[in-house]
Amino acid sequence: MRNPFRREPVSPHLDRIRSLSLFTDLSPGELRLIEHLMHERAYLPREVIFDEGEEGHAIYIILEGEVSITRTRNAVVSEVARLGVGDFFGELALLDGAPRSADARAVDKARLAVFFRDDFLELLDTHGRIASKIARQLARHIGGRMREMALAANAHQHL
Amino acid sequence: MGSQGEGRELEAEGSGPLVWCAILGITCLLLVFMQKLLWLVVPALLALILYYLLFPLMNRLIFRGLSREGAAGSVMLGFLLFMSLAGLWVTPWVTQRFGNIKALVSRYMDGGLALLDRSLRALEGAWAPLANAHLADTVAQRLHSMDGHLTEYIEPVAMGIMAWAPSLLLAPFLAFFFLRDGQRFKHFIAEAVPNAIFERSLFLLNEVDRTLRAYFIGLMKLTVLDTVTLAAGLALISVPGALALGFICAVLAWIPYVGTVLGGLLVVLVATDYPGDPMMAYWAIALFGIARMLDDFVYMPITVGKSLQMHPLITVLMIFVGGAVAGITGLMLVLPLLGVVMVVGKTVGSVVTDPRLMARHRHARELCRVAASADLG
Repeated sequence: MRNPFRREPVSPHLDRIRSLSLFTDLSPGELRLIEHLMHERAYLPREVIFDEGEEGHAIYIILEGEVSITRTRNAVVSEVARLGVGDFFGELALLDGAPRSADARAVDKARLAVFFRDDFLELLDTHGRIASKIARQLARHIGGRMREMALAANAHQHL
Repeated sequence: MGSQGEGRELEAEGSGPLVWCAILGITCLLLVFMQKLLWLVVPALLALILYYLLFPLMNRLIFRGLSREGAAGSVMLGFLLFMSLAGLWVTPWVTQRFGNIKALVSRYMDGGLALLDRSLRALEGAWAPLANAHLADTVAQRLHSMDGHLTEYIEPVAMGIMAWAPSLLLAPFLAFFFLRDGQRFKHFIAEAVPNAIFERSLFLLNEVDRTLRAYFIGLMKLTVLDTVTLAAGLALISVPGALALGFICAVLAWIPYVGTVLGGLLVVLVATDYPGDPMMAYWAIALFGIARMLDDFVYMPITVGKSLQMHPLITVLMIFVGGAVAGITGLMLVLPLLGVVMVVGKTVGSVVTDPRLMARHRHARELCRVAASADLG
C-alpha cells in the first residue's frame, strides 16, 4: 500500500517542468509547489492563443509543437518570432498585466503549460525564494531579448 | 486580415444593469436554497475557513517533501489534536460555570431586568415627563408578564442547537478533502473551459478564491482583534470570564447587527450579575460601545473591509435583503455570497458580451470539427 507520509520522489512530470528554462533553478520541493499551479492546454493548428491588445493574465510555456508570434500593422501581418519546445511567451503579463503586445497562434498541434500572474503574485507573498528564482530567469530572458533587439537595430543602421 | 482587425475593435459591453439585476437575484435565490441546506452549509463554511487557515501550513509540508495527501492528513491530524487538547483544558471551566444552565439564565435575566428598572427610575428622576408616564412601572409590568415565556423560548433554541451540533463534525472531514483535492478540483473545472475563454475564466476562478480567502481570513483576524480588545477591557473593569466573554461576543459579531446586539446584551447581563459594583453594567455598556466603534472604524477596514470591494450602500441594502430572505442565515452569508456572485457575474457578463472571444471560440470549434472529420472523406 502506498504510504502518503513518505517523501515523494521526483516524477517524470516534475522533471519535465524542471527542464523548462523558467523553472530551471527550482529545487524538487519548490517544483512540487509549482506543479500544482500549472495548467496544461492543447491547441489545434492555427488556433488563436491570444490576441494583441487583450488583457494578459498568464505566461505560456511550450511543451509540444510550435507557436507563431505575429503583429498586424496597417493590415499587414508580420511574424515576430516562431517559438518551439521549452520557449515561453506572454511573459510581460506576469509582471504588469499590460495588454498583449502581439498575437499568438499555434502553428501545429501544440501543448502549452500556463502559469497565472495571480499565482506568481501569491508566490511572491508566501514563497519569496521561489518567486525570486522565477523572476531572475524572467529578467535573464527579457535582458537577452533586449540585447537581440539592440543588435538587430545596430545591424540595420550599418546596412 | 483587415476584417480580423475590425473584429478585434468590437468592444465587450461588460456588466450593465441587466447583469447587476441577475447578480442580486441569483444571490437571493442562493440564500433561500442555502437556508434549506443549513445543516450542510454551516459545516461547509467552517471547513472553508479551516481550509484557508491550514493551507499555508500544508504548503510548507509539501515544500519539505511530503505528498499532498500526507501533508493534508498531517495538518488535519494536528488540528484535531490541538482542538482535543483545547477541549480538555476548557471543559472543567465550562461545566463549573455553566453546569446549571437554566438557573444561570434565570439569574442573568433577573439581573438584567433589575438593571433596566434601575436605569428607567433614574431617568424618571431626571426627566419629569417620563415620571408622569410611569415608564418604569409600565415596562416592568410588561416584562414580568413575558418572563415565563422567555425561558420557554430559550430552552427549545438551546435544545435545537445541541441536536444540530453533531453536523459540525463534518467540518474537519470536509476541510481535509478541500485541502487534499482543492487544486485537483480547480484543474478539473479549468479543463472543462474552452481555450478561447480559458485565461479570463481562470482569472475569474482565482478572483473568487481570492475574494473568499480575503473575506474569511479577514473575519478570523477581526475575531482575534475583537476578542483581545473586549477581553482586555472586561478584565480592566474586573468582569469575570473576560476572555471567554470576549470570544463569544466576537463570534456573535459574525452575524451583522443581530450578533452585535446579542453580544452587547450578554456582556451587560454578565456584568449585572457581579454584586460588588452597581456601576459595573454601565461600564460594560460603555466598553462595548467603544469596542464597536473600534471595530467599525479601525478593525473592519483593515481586515474584511477591502476584501469584497463593494459599495457601502449595496452592502447595507443587501444585509437587510439577506435578513428578510433567509433570516439569520441570510445575515451571515449574504456578504461573502454576494462577493462571489458579483465576481462570477461580472466576468461571465464580460465574456459572453465580448464578440472577439465568442468568434475565437466558434473558430476553435470549427478547427476541431475539421480535424475530427479530416479522414472521413
